[in-house]
Amino acid sequence: MSSETLGRSPGVASPRGPAGAGSRKRPVVQRVFGKNPLGALLSTPYLIFLAVVFAYPLVFAFYMSLHDYFFSAPGAVVDRPFIGIDNYVAALTDPQVLQSFRNVGVFLIINVPLTVILAIVLATALNRVVHFRAFLRVSFYVPYVTASVAVVAVWLFMFSGNGLINNVIGPLAPDPSWLINPTLAMPTIALYVTWKQLGFFILLYLAALQNVPNELYESASTDGAGPIRSFFSVTVPGVRPATALVLMLATITGANLFTEPYLLTGGGGPNGASSSPVFVMYQEGLQQGKPGFAAAIGVVLVIIVLTIALLENRFAGGKEE
Amino acid sequence: MSAQRRVPGQLSRGQAILRGVVLGLGALVFLFPFYYMVIGSLQRFPDTSLGGIFPNPANITGANYVAINERINLFSGLINSGIFAGGVVLGTVLFGMVTGYALAVLKWRGRGATFALALLVQTIPFQLLMIPLYVMIARDYGLGDTHLGMILPYLINSTAVVIFRQYFLQIPKELFDAARIDGASELRVLWQVAIPLVRPALVTVILITFIGPWNEFLWPFLITKEASLQPLAVSLANYISTIAASTTNPFGAMLAGAVVLAAPVVLLFIYFQRFFVSTDIGSGVKG
Amino acid sequence: MQRRTLISATATAAAALLALTACSGGGAADSDALTSRGDITIWYSNNEQEVAWAKAMVDAWNAENPEEQIKAQEIPAGDSSEEVIGAAITAGTAPCLVFNTAPSAVGQFQKQGGLVDLASFEDGTAYIEERSGESAEQYRAPEGGYFQMPWKSNPVMIFYNKDKFTQAGLDPENPALSTYDDFLATSKTLVESGAAQFAINPSPTSQFFQVGFDFLPLFAAESGGKGLVEDGKATFAGEEGLAVGEFWKSLYDQGFSGREEVQGDAFADGVSAMSIVGPWAISVYGDSINWGSVPVPTSSGIAPEETYTFSDAKNVGLYSACKNQATAWDVLKFATSEEQDGQLLELTGQMPLRANLPDTYPDYFEANPAYTQFGDQASRTVEVPAGSNTVEMMQDLRDAYTKAVISGEGDLEEALKGAAEKVDALAEEG
Repeated sequence: MSSETLGRSPGVASPRGPAGAGSRKRPVVQRVFGKNPLGALLSTPYLIFLAVVFAYPLVFAFYMSLHDYFFSAPGAVVDRPFIGIDNYVAALTDPQVLQSFRNVGVFLIINVPLTVILAIVLATALNRVVHFRAFLRVSFYVPYVTASVAVVAVWLFMFSGNGLINNVIGPLAPDPSWLINPTLAMPTIALYVTWKQLGFFILLYLAALQNVPNELYESASTDGAGPIRSFFSVTVPGVRPATALVLMLATITGANLFTEPYLLTGGGGPNGASSSPVFVMYQEGLQQGKPGFAAAIGVVLVIIVLTIALLENRFAGGKEE
Repeated sequence: MSAQRRVPGQLSRGQAILRGVVLGLGALVFLFPFYYMVIGSLQRFPDTSLGGIFPNPANITGANYVAINERINLFSGLINSGIFAGGVVLGTVLFGMVTGYALAVLKWRGRGATFALALLVQTIPFQLLMIPLYVMIARDYGLGDTHLGMILPYLINSTAVVIFRQYFLQIPKELFDAARIDGASELRVLWQVAIPLVRPALVTVILITFIGPWNEFLWPFLITKEASLQPLAVSLANYISTIAASTTNPFGAMLAGAVVLAAPVVLLFIYFQRFFVSTDIGSGVKG
Repeated sequence: MQRRTLISATATAAAALLALTACSGGGAADSDALTSRGDITIWYSNNEQEVAWAKAMVDAWNAENPEEQIKAQEIPAGDSSEEVIGAAITAGTAPCLVFNTAPSAVGQFQKQGGLVDLASFEDGTAYIEERSGESAEQYRAPEGGYFQMPWKSNPVMIFYNKDKFTQAGLDPENPALSTYDDFLATSKTLVESGAAQFAINPSPTSQFFQVGFDFLPLFAAESGGKGLVEDGKATFAGEEGLAVGEFWKSLYDQGFSGREEVQGDAFADGVSAMSIVGPWAISVYGDSINWGSVPVPTSSGIAPEETYTFSDAKNVGLYSACKNQATAWDVLKFATSEEQDGQLLELTGQMPLRANLPDTYPDYFEANPAYTQFGDQASRTVEVPAGSNTVEMMQDLRDAYTKAVISGEGDLEEALKGAAEKVDALAEEG
């Protein structure tokens, strides 16, 4: 990864950076595991879990992407030749695949900023509210917990050609209607996902808000800051780690978009305008029996998303030693 | 600049009302689908017209729920869902929290790589892993048709690891340093300082890790074909997929299934949300 | 440093992979399985009617064969069942028989080595060909052998709502629906009279299998029984395919069919006056709608007794993971015997893929005249193309169709030709 060339964020200019290990004589355990060997110990169960559950499928997916692979019964004699980067070339020159990456780009540009802004504002408001506290919190949380099949049915009721929304806005209704309009399908899905997932991100901010020291609000207030200024000068910086988290998670879940093109637009319609890379993977890999091709799309997707997520963490994450 | 002195965070009367209105309207937008789902599940005949959003006494019935109760074993479904989701929450809270702590507070070799791995695992689409994962767990580990096989891929939620890490990062360093100066071991710092402070995060993690397995359909169905082991989401999805062919109101049946699945989670949330109380870090910094 | 640890982590993971693959070679299919007997597991579809049939069938078998018991489990119909079967094949955990195997998936399952060639049983080929007659041919693998037992079909026809026709001032007993011109004129009357929002409303979504419920049945009828692929060449870009495409296109262009998916069942809810479905729908619409049925239209109005359609069949596969294949074969023959087929017809209203269906069960068709047409239609059906690329072929056609016909973008002939080229290449591949 090219993170080296990006330079370090200002907060990490600590004199005893991680590279300082071994400069003085230390016990063996510390020389092997770093300053706090306990960290390695505490993380061991998680690392074992990753090795046991994910190492094999992951490496295997990469292996598939380099072969003309298909799944076969144990013991069946089949020919699955090594084909180098052919799958990658095929995937990256396939107009459908490229369209799906563009689609998900549009999705992220709408969904991620909207999610961050709405979640932080609503969480701040919910945090201070006194009356109907439980009721209000449950309301925002409900779409997140409800199974997609049902929520999609409701959304279709609202956004279909003769649905609620078009009835309300009357002559302003788009033609073709939202979900079958090539230009509007993806933005409508982005809006839908923002709405469906918002409860989750509000929860993250609500928890983060509990850890913003009250003194900061008090001193801002002493300085004469109104609620809007103290939101920007205390709340926003105070929950900065949570913002980094929300950015990363919204990007990651958004990039894995699958259920909505699958259920809401009946298979990435209209004409692929709402298909996503994961949906194409599903079509090619599981339905059409070309897992090698699907795996190549997956590897490209993972690399892109991981890069974006790490960049977001670096720039929005703030101080970290 | 206003010369008026206010208690921190308190709004003027007008602003408080405005906030109430915004939150109320927002709540309506978010609650409407749920409301619509409940209404739809009580309809005798599907009414997808606009009038359908208001309850119509002539068209109300509990038949959709009775039908679900007759066709699937709600009790064993709930138990299996509870075991599945409960196992995942337990594993995630136990192991995810200490990993998050290690990633945020302790300095050790491999920390950066472990964090990158936690992100990596989340970026991989399940569709890519599904068959290799199934082959490994069903064939190599021999865990087909067991609860353990169902739980294993979800045992430690990587999202939760990242969330824990982020909340531990948010705790002011001074708190840990103070405890260390007092001679507390790193483990004691974890138990007595860090964990009590991330209680809201703990509640969040419980609420979000619970939902994944609770609503998950494909994996538990893949790993278990025994109806007696299947969680509620699987039985309901099966029910919904077949009901279309044998009822006058498949729409209502589907929505009733969704209500049954969502209800326990909403109750869980109502119970847990009270723990989102401020832990008052401020005083800790002073002391 | 971060990079170094990442590399070492990857190396560890790779080592783990090698260790796992090394120990996963077991479970090879042994030739003894073909003649072995004992308990077996079967899967069947989970809709209520088929469950009732399957339970009775299993009980009947188990009562007579205490040494060879069947254990039965339900799996859902639809998309996820193919994924589940595909995964089970790969892991070697597939059951002996799946009474829910889609013909479009058989080619892939066969390529995966997941299916047993039924012709390898001594009486296999004879049994299938005797039971299904000429229809059996379509289920034979391109390189010979039967990797599926043709089981039951749901020949697709046009259902129409008699009340809506009366309301529009049309003759409900002799609807003019046999030629494209008649069909379009009738549709116009239905919509313009306000009897229904749409004349007919096939699902406009992009899933590959939707091909079977708009283009394919009309193409089969128009071409007198051609499949989408014959002798390794796509057939649908010719004159007949174009005519079918133009027909549907004019329905969409004039607003007689909806471009957006309808919530619920458009026909049952009265949103559309007609529907294009198989006989399973009889029990669903039953008494709630005053319906009639006619064969799918053709440009020249081919007589009903010569009209072909799409079969929408579901078959039975015998899976190579099965340890007791001799028992499985016996169960398969038992489950498709004349008696069990009769039960299936009785309980589900789906047509067993049997030669001379109406003559075999005269009592049933006499008691249920509504099914007679379907029973007759069942002998003139067309199946999806064989081979391991079926789904991809159908998807290519579907993508061209949704764009050129449903959305009405671009030139129809070019779109069909483009899809045909892709399908030709796929047919050549395998």
